[in-house]
Amino acid sequence: MTWISKNWTMVGIIKGLILTMKHILRIGNRPTVTVQYPYQKMKVSPRYRGLHAVDENACIGCGICEVNCPNATIQIVKYKAKWYPQVNIGMCLFCGLCVDVCPMNAMKMTGNYELADYTRESLVYGPDRLLFNKEVKQ
Amino acid sequence: MKTDELLINMGPVHPSTHGVLRFKLTMDGEIIRNCEIVMGYLHRGTEKLGEMKTYMQFVPYTDRLDYISAFPNNYAYVKAVEELAGIEVPLRAEYIRVLTLELNRIVNHLVMIGSLLLDLGASTMIMYGFRERENALALFDMLCGARMTFNYIKPGGVREDMPEGFIPKLNEFINDMDMRIDDYEQLVSGNEIFMGRMKNIGVMSAQDAINYGMTGPSLRGHGVNYDIRKMEPYSVYPDLDFKACMRRECDSFARYMVRIDEMRESLHILKQVVDQMPQGKAETHAKYGIAPMTGAPTAVSTYFPRIFTPPPGEVYSRIEAPKGELGFYIVSDGTIKPYRIKIRSPSFCNLTAIPKMVEGLMIPDLIAAFGTIDVVLGDVDR
Amino acid sequence: MWTGDIMFANAYELIVFILNFIGIYEPINNIFKTLGIEYVLRIIIVFIEIAVLLVFALLTIMFLTWMERKVVAMVQARYGPMVTGPRGLLQPVMDGIKLIGKEDIIPAKADRWVFTLAPFLVFIPALLIFIPLPFGESLIISDLKVGLLYLIAISALSPIAILLAGWSSNNKYSLMGAMRAVAQDISYTIPLALSAIAIVLFTGSLSTVDIVTAQNGTWFGFIPKWFIFLQPLGFILFLIASIAEMGRIPFDFQESEQELVAGFFTEYSGIKFAMFFLAEYAHLFSVSAIVVTLFLGGWSFPILPYLPAVLVPLVSFVVFLVKTYAVIFFAMWLRHTVPRVRIDQLLNLGWKIMIPLALLNLLVTGFLLTVGVFK
Repeated sequence: MTWISKNWTMVGIIKGLILTMKHILRIGNRPTVTVQYPYQKMKVSPRYRGLHAVDENACIGCGICEVNCPNATIQIVKYKAKWYPQVNIGMCLFCGLCVDVCPMNAMKMTGNYELADYTRESLVYGPDRLLFNKEVKQ
Repeated sequence: MKTDELLINMGPVHPSTHGVLRFKLTMDGEIIRNCEIVMGYLHRGTEKLGEMKTYMQFVPYTDRLDYISAFPNNYAYVKAVEELAGIEVPLRAEYIRVLTLELNRIVNHLVMIGSLLLDLGASTMIMYGFRERENALALFDMLCGARMTFNYIKPGGVREDMPEGFIPKLNEFINDMDMRIDDYEQLVSGNEIFMGRMKNIGVMSAQDAINYGMTGPSLRGHGVNYDIRKMEPYSVYPDLDFKACMRRECDSFARYMVRIDEMRESLHILKQVVDQMPQGKAETHAKYGIAPMTGAPTAVSTYFPRIFTPPPGEVYSRIEAPKGELGFYIVSDGTIKPYRIKIRSPSFCNLTAIPKMVEGLMIPDLIAAFGTIDVVLGDVDR
Repeated sequence: MWTGDIMFANAYELIVFILNFIGIYEPINNIFKTLGIEYVLRIIIVFIEIAVLLVFALLTIMFLTWMERKVVAMVQARYGPMVTGPRGLLQPVMDGIKLIGKEDIIPAKADRWVFTLAPFLVFIPALLIFIPLPFGESLIISDLKVGLLYLIAISALSPIAILLAGWSSNNKYSLMGAMRAVAQDISYTIPLALSAIAIVLFTGSLSTVDIVTAQNGTWFGFIPKWFIFLQPLGFILFLIASIAEMGRIPFDFQESEQELVAGFFTEYSGIKFAMFFLAEYAHLFSVSAIVVTLFLGGWSFPILPYLPAVLVPLVSFVVFLVKTYAVIFFAMWLRHTVPRVRIDQLLNLGWKIMIPLALLNLLVTGFLLTVGVFK
């Protein structure tokens, strides 16, 4: 109770009110920071760990990514007479260990994070959805 | 006239950011007589999982312990593994590690102050805190590719070197934060209603706090000058000039002010780290030493094989996480998977001091005192 | 030029004047007179007035919910509602449609009739306060001779409805919440009434129109004669007491979810829940209007004597709205800056500090008036 009689001028509250008024009037480097998703999207960095992508010509199907995955989400399956990885996005941690250990630098992660889907089975991304073909420049 | 005691349950579902935690309060009118804490709603068996993964595979799991500040969790585990196996780390990697640790300390304290004020009823502080957190998370995104679960600090060094344009953006962030911390002090610390709710609430003597195992900023608000960065210095902290922030009054307001002081100290450390960063060649193809053809170490990592068997033995190593003392105790029996990993988490030990602290207070005071202990349920339940 | 006298006593006479001007008042009156039921015309005109007032009140409440969300967003460096309608203006409509579509749950052991009656008992007094408020020069529904007393009495009706709501829910948290709300309400009605009575010492009349006309004119040519300059302490006490009556932060422990789930309206859903919220915003507008009437000069403004008499009702209405929204903006601005006050600190403040200060204010004002400092 004594604190009320000692600070009856309530200076602290008035200073707080001045600060929020500065925010309302947007003075002094205090802009509005909303990004109105989905009309505007945030930019992610080039290193962002999103959906995987496998280079078709570089992958040799060795299985090192399968052994090193902490959650055991990668499986090597046969596709077009070669062996390629298949990732279960529903169980993946997006930790990036498979990218780090790939000896041929074939496994990469893109910046795609909008991966929601309707059924659990469609979350298993087989080689047909993961492979990309890097064109060889002459 | 005899009155009965009432049992009130503040259930696991809370409309605040702390997580799933349950309080069973025995109340006499408005005063709390006894408080029993029921935890374990978020238990995921992290320590058991550690026995089934190799040392490198366990690093992503440490991220998820205290999900607000993931870098110190990574680093505590990696420091224990490096002590166990006697690995040396290049100097540039140590500086990058300290940079991320201090940046994460600022981010963690912003969330703590924001959620404390949200519990008290002012919702603007959490919005400002998260606006600053967005800038810091964009920096982390640029550095390691993720915003919350980083998986960046590995045994032997760090995963990749800093990209170009990182240091100018970091300097921008530091200058911005200086101004914003002054804003927060103006908004919150001088507010008479806030002081009336926090001063002389949740008082506990320093000896009691030490007996309950409290560490970190919550303990330094009680006048005990215990900071692991000063007691057992690790990494490059001996070369940096900073002071451990301490306050003498043992109430909630002191615990809050310690965190504001610590944010300023972290900015000071960040400026020194940016100045003192050693140069080094960085090859971006080789991640922790496995270059496809040469297998040579890089500027930010020593060579660390994928199959790694440390010598048998045990180690306990601890660091000063933003919430307190975070320690990892690893027992290895010479195989590729550890035999036992035990995690000493700061939130768990700080939480057990709550029943002593809130005897004789009312429910709004319980909420204010609980907010200053800074508990994250991922850390408590593991 | 406007001479400073009120043109019409209330809005009824204004409407009769307009109808006379158009020329249709006399023929319709004669038709009713020949039928012998001339009071029907009076009833129709009164219904038109009240319909206009209700439309204005409900539109204002909807606009206030939108304004609150936009002001919050401006303080917190974000945008607020932007998607529904241009800049989010249709957001209250969407909220209303959503709430109407919800299931109406009545707990099994609750008292059905009282449970259903309570939200309306909270909402209707909030609308009744609009009657003696002077919205502009001669724009008042009914110039009660005891206008101020009526306003305070209607605000004191809300604790009864809150107790009904809390008791009929058959829920111990609702009952505790209702008791606390009633305690807060009655302990802040007393400083409110005491600060308002100090105004009456200046005007000698309880009628709101008299209070506003006593604030016409200026000192030294540019300081308007508003009572805020004569009664600064009374203004601050009245403002704090009215923010506490409304249950807004910093006196907001009813809605602090940590403690009592949601206070006395825990068990309400759908349109009944909406009624409580609408009542809160109606209360916000009407209390701000009372503050403006008593202390900030109502619709009077120094430039009014320089305008032609025809424009004065319109301009005074605009001035009144601007002042009321300024007070509402201050209440919203305060809400998002400070945290809550604990309940025992709140009751301490009300009983131990504000009542003695209000009595002191009354004493000093009476003394100075008797001595002859103010004429």
